[in-house]
Amino acid sequence: MLQINDVHAGYGNLKILRGVNMQVPTGGIVTLLGGNGTGKSTLLKAISGLIPLMEGQITFDGADLAKMKPHERMRLGLVQVTQAKEAYPAMTVEENLILGAYTRRDREATLADLQRVYEFFPVLHERRKQMSGTLSGGEVQMLVIGRGLMAKPKMLMLDEPSAALAPKVVLEIFANINRIAKTGVTMLVVEQNVRMALILAQYGYIIRDGVIMMEGEAKKLISDPAVKESFLGGSVANTSKALKN
Amino acid sequence: MGFDYNSLLAFIIFGVTIGVVYGIVALGISLIYSGLDIVHFAHGEMYMFGAFFGLVLAVDVGLPYPIALIGAMIMTAILGMFVERVFYRKLTSAGGGYTVAGMGMIICGFGMSVALVNVAYFIWGAEAEPFAVNLDYLPRLKFSGDIEVPESYFLTAIISLVMMGGLHYFLRHTRAGLAVRAVAHNKDIAYLMGINVPLMISVIFGLSCALAAGAGVLIGPMQSVQVEMGYLMLMKAFAAAVVGGFGSLPGAILGGIMVGVFENLGAAYISPSHKDIYAFLLLILVLMFKPSGLLGVEAKVKA
Repeated sequence: MLQINDVHAGYGNLKILRGVNMQVPTGGIVTLLGGNGTGKSTLLKAISGLIPLMEGQITFDGADLAKMKPHERMRLGLVQVTQAKEAYPAMTVEENLILGAYTRRDREATLADLQRVYEFFPVLHERRKQMSGTLSGGEVQMLVIGRGLMAKPKMLMLDEPSAALAPKVVLEIFANINRIAKTGVTMLVVEQNVRMALILAQYGYIIRDGVIMMEGEAKKLISDPAVKESFLGGSVANTSKALKN
Repeated sequence: MGFDYNSLLAFIIFGVTIGVVYGIVALGISLIYSGLDIVHFAHGEMYMFGAFFGLVLAVDVGLPYPIALIGAMIMTAILGMFVERVFYRKLTSAGGGYTVAGMGMIICGFGMSVALVNVAYFIWGAEAEPFAVNLDYLPRLKFSGDIEVPESYFLTAIISLVMMGGLHYFLRHTRAGLAVRAVAHNKDIAYLMGINVPLMISVIFGLSCALAAGAGVLIGPMQSVQVEMGYLMLMKAFAAAVVGGFGSLPGAILGGIMVGVFENLGAAYISPSHKDIYAFLLLILVLMFKPSGLLGVEAKVKA
């Protein structure tokens, strides 16, 4: 569904992505893993069109995205869920959700989807008249995911859905992401929480210094010694060993 | 001789009426500020052009006053969108976003102000032109104690309220209004919602200029219309916007009314020849005690 070929991109003269190759097939969940400053967010911006490509090509459903503005890409069904802190705090929960359906003209189906989102996240229905600035971290995360769903996406890109949330809330959010994927929406989940993301996804990419360092089936990656060492608490194990000595 | 409460009431009524007009211009300045992150220094000229367009439509063409008002607002909106698209867009979008373009945009605004004044000189000349409209069909408000409010003041108050109500309805209850608020808060996220951000920026600019034009056509029948009228209005509207809290729309209206009342009372009880000082006196006083303006807390949330 999404094809990324040899993409170079960055800000001004600063090149962050140096030849990224990636595929997201239709259906299922793909995760993109990496620490801070490895190029995860830059790649998302390049896909959604907030920054231009320096080199390379991105296609979605066979359409070349290079010449398309962000709002045009979104109309193809390629929808980015923003980070949770980027809900509109001065708008009510319901206004935020309706804004998600901004590009749609089918009023009745939109209202039906609004009800669906409320069934999915009952807490949003409870708080629909509240300013979204007053929600808790987990609730805002549900709000931005719900806002993404309102656009009737073919593919949903999530930018660190577990950021700054308590483990129990992360579990709940990830369970919801899984439920959404089962309804037929393709997912690209960008994460720092490597263990959780690899349990959720079928396929994983690991990015470092603007290139894909490693890729593979999520099941294989999670048991890969190199991944374990650098992401899955290898350093913690070493630290505790060091403490014991 | 006792204190004359009737004339005090009259000064307050006149002050509020002028004040809502300042408020309308300030509303436009605040809207542009929250939408584009720029301070638009040529906004007084939009007000002036609006007044001239209204004058041409009502007096030269002979259209009824309300139609001339709407016509002038539409013409000025088009002028404003043209100026923004052709002269400002490059500056405001430098660096990929529509962030503060800093000094460049301020200088550009001043330049545009001078340019527009000279265009107006070229078209309409330097003389002040009377804006005579027949408003006899309107009721003349009479209060107890022989206070009469002229028709034009009555009309101004009503139309201003309609404009403010219309803007409020547009921003709170329409899809396009929701999009404008989204763009004002964060352009990148607005893009991700599928909003055509450049188009919405044109809408914001056009709307703000239309409001300024409306103010110009409302002031026209009270004073005369002339090319230099924009400077003082810009200063008063800025004072109103800052007093209310820059970027806050309710603040702009509150600030406008306060400036209007304050300067009318100052002119009446202190000295009429220094009428234009009082607005800025109020500005300094408010800034001394509440630097963010009266509704400045809301200003952070924007629009």
